[in-house]
Amino acid sequence: MQISSAQPVFKLELNHKVTPGIVTIAKFDGTHACLTACAGYDKIIIHHPHGSMVSGRAQRSQAHGEVSELNLSQAVIALAAGPLKPDAARDMLLIGSPSQILAYDVHENTDLFFRDAPDGVNVITVDNFGKYDEPLAFVGGNSSVQALNWQGNEIFWNVVGGKVSAMITFDFDKDGENELLVGCEDSYIRVLKNNQFIVEIPETGPILCLSPVTEVRFSYGLANGTIGIYEEGIRLWRVKSKQNALALQWSGETLACCWNNGRVDWRDGTSGRVLRRVQMRTSAAAMLLADYRSVGAPDLVCVSDKGEVMGYPPYQENTGFSTAKTLPSEEDRQAITELFNKKQALLMELQHYEANAASSVFSLDEDERPSTAMPTNTRLQVAVNASPEDQCLELTISTNNDTIVRAALVLAEGIFETGETLARHPHPAQLRSILQISLKPPRDVPVDVHIKALVGYSGSEQFHIFELTKQLPRFSMYTKALPSSVCTKSDSVVSFRITERVQRICIWINQNFLLDEEVELQNEEMKELHLRLFCLRDQSLLDMEFGADGNVKFYTTDIRLAGNLIQSLAVFLNLSDLQSVAQFPETEKKLRIEMDMASQVGEIRSRLAAETAERAQLITALLPAAQDAASYDLKEMLSRYKEVIMLNEELLTGCHIRRATQEQAVTSLKSLHTILQHAARLRVGKYSKAVVAASRKAVKEDNIEALIKILQVGDSA
Amino acid sequence: MVNYNFPGIQTDKIFTASGNEVKGYTRKGKVFLTIETSVSDTITSMCVLGGDLILCSGRTITCYRDLRESNSYICDDRVLDIAAFSAPNSTKVKLLALVANKGAVVLDNGRLVSHVTMSSGPSRLTVPPPPHASDVNAFYGTADGSIGLLAYEDSILSYKCLMEGRGLGSVVCMGWFINNGTTHLAVGRHDGSIQLYLVDVENITEKLRLKFTYFCGEPVTSVTGGCVGSEESELLASTFSGRIFALRSRRQVSGVLLSNIPQDALTLRRSKLEVEVARLEKQTANEREKYQRSTRSLTAGLSAPPLLDFQCELSGAIQDAWQEVRITSAVSLDMLFIYCQRKLDIQTDNAAVLSVCSSQGSHEDLLATVRCQAGTRRLWIQIRYKTSSMRVSESARVMIYALPAGAPRVARLLTVRLPILSYYSQHENTEIENEPRSWSEVSMSGSFSVAEITSWLIDILPGDLPRPASNVVFARSHTLLKTILICRYERGSARFRSDNISTIAVIRDTLSNCSISRNIRAEITYNIPDECCSEAFNQIKEDFEREYRKYKDIVLRKALGSLDLDDTRVNNDSPIICEKYMQVWNNIESDTNVTNFKELINTIQQWYADWHELCLNLKDYNNNKIALQKALNDCNLEHIKTILINQNSTQT
Repeated sequence: MQISSAQPVFKLELNHKVTPGIVTIAKFDGTHACLTACAGYDKIIIHHPHGSMVSGRAQRSQAHGEVSELNLSQAVIALAAGPLKPDAARDMLLIGSPSQILAYDVHENTDLFFRDAPDGVNVITVDNFGKYDEPLAFVGGNSSVQALNWQGNEIFWNVVGGKVSAMITFDFDKDGENELLVGCEDSYIRVLKNNQFIVEIPETGPILCLSPVTEVRFSYGLANGTIGIYEEGIRLWRVKSKQNALALQWSGETLACCWNNGRVDWRDGTSGRVLRRVQMRTSAAAMLLADYRSVGAPDLVCVSDKGEVMGYPPYQENTGFSTAKTLPSEEDRQAITELFNKKQALLMELQHYEANAASSVFSLDEDERPSTAMPTNTRLQVAVNASPEDQCLELTISTNNDTIVRAALVLAEGIFETGETLARHPHPAQLRSILQISLKPPRDVPVDVHIKALVGYSGSEQFHIFELTKQLPRFSMYTKALPSSVCTKSDSVVSFRITERVQRICIWINQNFLLDEEVELQNEEMKELHLRLFCLRDQSLLDMEFGADGNVKFYTTDIRLAGNLIQSLAVFLNLSDLQSVAQFPETEKKLRIEMDMASQVGEIRSRLAAETAERAQLITALLPAAQDAASYDLKEMLSRYKEVIMLNEELLTGCHIRRATQEQAVTSLKSLHTILQHAARLRVGKYSKAVVAASRKAVKEDNIEALIKILQVGDSA
Repeated sequence: MVNYNFPGIQTDKIFTASGNEVKGYTRKGKVFLTIETSVSDTITSMCVLGGDLILCSGRTITCYRDLRESNSYICDDRVLDIAAFSAPNSTKVKLLALVANKGAVVLDNGRLVSHVTMSSGPSRLTVPPPPHASDVNAFYGTADGSIGLLAYEDSILSYKCLMEGRGLGSVVCMGWFINNGTTHLAVGRHDGSIQLYLVDVENITEKLRLKFTYFCGEPVTSVTGGCVGSEESELLASTFSGRIFALRSRRQVSGVLLSNIPQDALTLRRSKLEVEVARLEKQTANEREKYQRSTRSLTAGLSAPPLLDFQCELSGAIQDAWQEVRITSAVSLDMLFIYCQRKLDIQTDNAAVLSVCSSQGSHEDLLATVRCQAGTRRLWIQIRYKTSSMRVSESARVMIYALPAGAPRVARLLTVRLPILSYYSQHENTEIENEPRSWSEVSMSGSFSVAEITSWLIDILPGDLPRPASNVVFARSHTLLKTILICRYERGSARFRSDNISTIAVIRDTLSNCSISRNIRAEITYNIPDECCSEAFNQIKEDFEREYRKYKDIVLRKALGSLDLDDTRVNNDSPIICEKYMQVWNNIESDTNVTNFKELINTIQQWYADWHELCLNLKDYNNNKIALQKALNDCNLEHIKTILINQNSTQT
């Protein structure tokens, strides 16, 4: 199948640069779509091809008659639009700057609201959500998600595990209500329903973009160049590219993908096969779906970073983009070409089998054997073992005869420091029929490991490829501790009650851990289970006690691990709610430090802001004075200019300090949110939700004791 | 190989050669001639003119007249292509041959009458259509992609480039396409493109005009004009994987001709193919099952699939010392696994995913995988030595395991050796030695054979080396610096001359390493003129200045770019940047953003360091080194010269 190019149905120039990713299309007057984009630091441009509507704050651009400019005093980080105001049937513009969010009614030239966003702003989306009858604005910050209504009031707030990088509303569980899909820098896609995370999908890299496809499918793009589609929470396909996807859109039964370098391709929805491709002249800034021609169906609108806008109609199967009719024989022709290719491949394979059969007359002796040969009954065995000495998992590959493993490639994503593969190619002197490879999965997620082993003899010119797939369970980096280790249990513990038989627990352990021998109960009567495990990463101990009375205790210093274990167990046992009591002295100490830091930084910030304002005022006064002085006293002018320079330098220094404190504030806020997230993950269901709500309140009131209490028992009361 | 004759001369017979056998076919496809020739190597090219049959195999050109061997000639290197010309009023034929690494030669009656050295590496010849067929001239295509004309007039062989390479793939084949009275030169390239150039038959020395390009995705092995099945002119092409197809002019395809094939014929053909494929599928499944069964049996049989068909070639260094490995496969590729004992820089095609793995243990080795897109049959990877202060004195062996996407599941091992002096890929005439350059020299004498020294030079120089002979002389030039290396060796003694002192230093190190590791006693002496650094610098002075300006412009452009100027502000009536900056800014798109400035600096510093090392003069070296670096960075020509010359005065 040949990949063809496409012609745009419309094309226009904005004559402005466009900042990639900060673009939206909205109907500010309720009927006409306007492209709105950030044109460098603090400038917003609005393109209104359907007649002028601009008054008030926006100014007509000098570079383009149909473009208006809007200048903010702050950097523009995110743009979104939607019919936020319930009674007005028109879109409101939401502008996110590093620490503030502004909702602006372009048509009426009024501010809807303006509020601080202390968690930062990375992404904004506007849509209906859950049971709320009015549209909400969702603000994704540094490890938090916030929902606002049209008056700027907070509807809910939740913590996530990293900077939010993509958000869409999507009916994930098909109950007729929208859920919020949140993509984060920590490589998880989370589904938020009713202010509670119901599903976590681990991915192999930071999420860059999400886009709905159909009722049951959504697409995603990652920072490692992967794009793909999920159907009902299961990945349908994915492909990887060197470029990163900037935007994904579902247009005309195909997935259009816009890459950073300006390439746009249309892919088959079920396989990811490329059907059409175009290349923009410069890098891409955005790709949106909008009815920009007012024809009743949305076109794909591609924007380049130089301000070039191109519209493509939905892709159509047979005709592609051209309206010309294809000849009826075209299908036959294509089929014939494909059949020819198939025939050639089959002939090639057949040829090899025949040649193989012919060559079997050779003997296996070292001198006579051809340089491509191998005994037919060679088998490859693969085993994974914990290796406490090397602090890693050992993947052992071996053959069953005198053939050697020349090289092995291990393909897996997210577990290697560099790239997607780990290769081993032993020194010729060390060639054996057995090869060992160390693996160190950095996260507790299940990993599929694909192995390609090249098997032959040391002098071979051609090697047989053996391909195998091995699944590493979620907690593969924990192994049974040696009985000799007499270390005392850690003083950090989380405990909760479940009503399940120990047999079921055994199944969970055997499914999720990689132990040398499976855990089995010695007899039916046994009601208790004690397990002492040892983490290969940092040699810390994990004690799991499942009591006869249903009391469960996990002893570990790692609060994240405790949360992971509880979440995994809850999913396995199908628990909807679970409350727990936690003792994590280390985490509590850290929490106190972070809270202290946060309040300190706040003070410094307000002091610095006041100083800056003062100096800026002085400069504005001094500068005209210096200019005036030029007419009568040059000496006076010189000294005044010197003062201006000095003040300017002070201002600059102040600015650097402010930036440093801001960065510090963001990091401490992030670690604070991370701790809160861990605390929430120690509970399940409504208890987890309660933790988030209570801790939000405690943070606002700056109440450290309450926060500690929440961490311990799940509530401040 | 098949030799297509030009229309009008001998259209009624076809000659083919395979192995050392030549066959002749009549128009109807009957064999009328079979000769088992006496040549030892495989016949690589052939030419028929009247009663003369000329065969090339290896380095030998053998002429047959009326099927009897009349004479033969042995060239210095492999013969790549040949053309024969009949002289008016004479029965003798003149031969024009392309010789690897040497250029072109004209032979008359088994005697060399003229030769010319061509640095672009010509690979193919084709004789222009009448009325020029009797003059001794031919179009040539080269490894660097350019096309030109060779002409032998007044006993002088000369060449003229008619179309530059422009980064296109090397020319693999050429043919003629004649349509409606216009003559086109058809060119098939290694990168899979087929191009038609319009040739003015009356005036063949005119520049060629590109009329048409088609891309078929794999190396083209032959192109020729003709017609199959219809009366319309078609361009026939065959490819590396064995595909044969024909191209017609666009007008004919979109017009009436396409519908010429009736719908039911197409459907019939399709269903026929479907049946055939189904049959093949069944057969393959059977064989597969048989093979699978044999893998489960207790008695060990032998699984030895034939070698997969791969073409792998390494180019000489281009920009930034990158050397390109081009891999062409008959089956589509899934992955490449690349291993080298030494850390190398590596990069590849945009469509493929390169992932460099962590090294094994404490070894400093390179382990990388390249995952290809579906259907990839051609792929390039670029590799180079890591730039470090240490001089490379041992070549690296790069092992590439090519894993195909489908059956059979076997991986072929391809090995390439990365030469140390990778820039010396251009061939020069040895007469260049007479140019007034400041030649440094290293000579070696000892008990080694010509074959041995050739094998050592393989580690040093890129591309093919001349076959060992009793006395070998050849010259190469540096693609970037244009410095020359002349190699001259025979049994027991070798002499290398270059105006680049670093080249001499590398050769000295490598040869002494090689001779020691092979336990051969050899004595190495060298002679370095005092002024070699300054002379060499004089040679590249202009380049250096130009690169310096380019470098400065790029720095400036970067700064201007971060000013966030948009086009409106720049194009306004009242420009906010000065004219010079405007110029630099506007050149952004037109000029490429690559400069060799840093590389040139390193080269000159290396020269200086090598001079001090080879002359065993380390006095003031460290002070001068820093001064030189500063002068180079500022492009202070006078100062650089003083330092480079001063080195000499301190010695004397």
